[in-house]
Amino acid sequence: MNGRKSFGGGGSSTGGGGGRGGRAGQNQQTGKDGQQRRPMFRRRKVCKFCADKIDDINYKDTRLLMPFVPERAKILPRRISGTCALHQRKLRVAILRARQLALIPYTAE
Amino acid sequence: MNRKYELVYVVSPDATDDQVTDLHTQVEAIVQRMGGQIEKTENWGRRRLAYEIGRHKEGTYVLELINGSGELMKEIDRRLKVSDLVIRQLVVRVDEVQEVVERTRSKRSESSRRRRIARGLPPDRQPGEGQRGDSDDDRDDRFDLSDL
Repeated sequence: MNGRKSFGGGGSSTGGGGGRGGRAGQNQQTGKDGQQRRPMFRRRKVCKFCADKIDDINYKDTRLLMPFVPERAKILPRRISGTCALHQRKLRVAILRARQLALIPYTAE
Repeated sequence: MNRKYELVYVVSPDATDDQVTDLHTQVEAIVQRMGGQIEKTENWGRRRLAYEIGRHKEGTYVLELINGSGELMKEIDRRLKVSDLVIRQLVVRVDEVQEVVERTRSKRSESSRRRRIARGLPPDRQPGEGQRGDSDDDRDDRFDLSDL
């Protein structure tokens, strides 16, 4: 897979060829609205926790959680981070707990 | 009913070290009185808070691992809420989660062993082998979190 795009960061939309569409680089919907879509290669997103085999998403581990609360301190959605449903749920709980203890901010000032 | 809980509390930065240890002994006393035990205590020291609480920008974090009943934790939570020195506290039950984590971990290692034996390899990974190495090239298809 190529087409390195910076996901996350400033919440950058992938622009041009179609901001929507499935995950992974499956090329679906060809020329639906008249114009020809060239096959977009998007990097296949993999759940970080599945890939690295992290079973325990702990609220104390801020180093693990921080990448999932960029800039505005909002929780990074699954569609951008590629986290699987199971781990996103666990991640959410961990972030909520960490916020309560002021380990992670609720908002950016 | 014995369960495992994790208690984290943040002590105000104005508190002296003595007051922090005093708070710990208070917690310990409640735990002992209500038939529990403290498994571990960790003092993370003074840390910067992610946001201001009241007018505080820093706090001393203390973690306690406690075996005991729900009533015990309720009592501790109540006492910490009343205390002026404690600016935040959190009680989390950990035994169930730990069990699940252990189960998935052992399941995974077991299945990997089985597969390795089926392939005629030694059951444990040898040093210097592995299809997913630590080389940068290999990790390229993953979501890049490092630049956040």
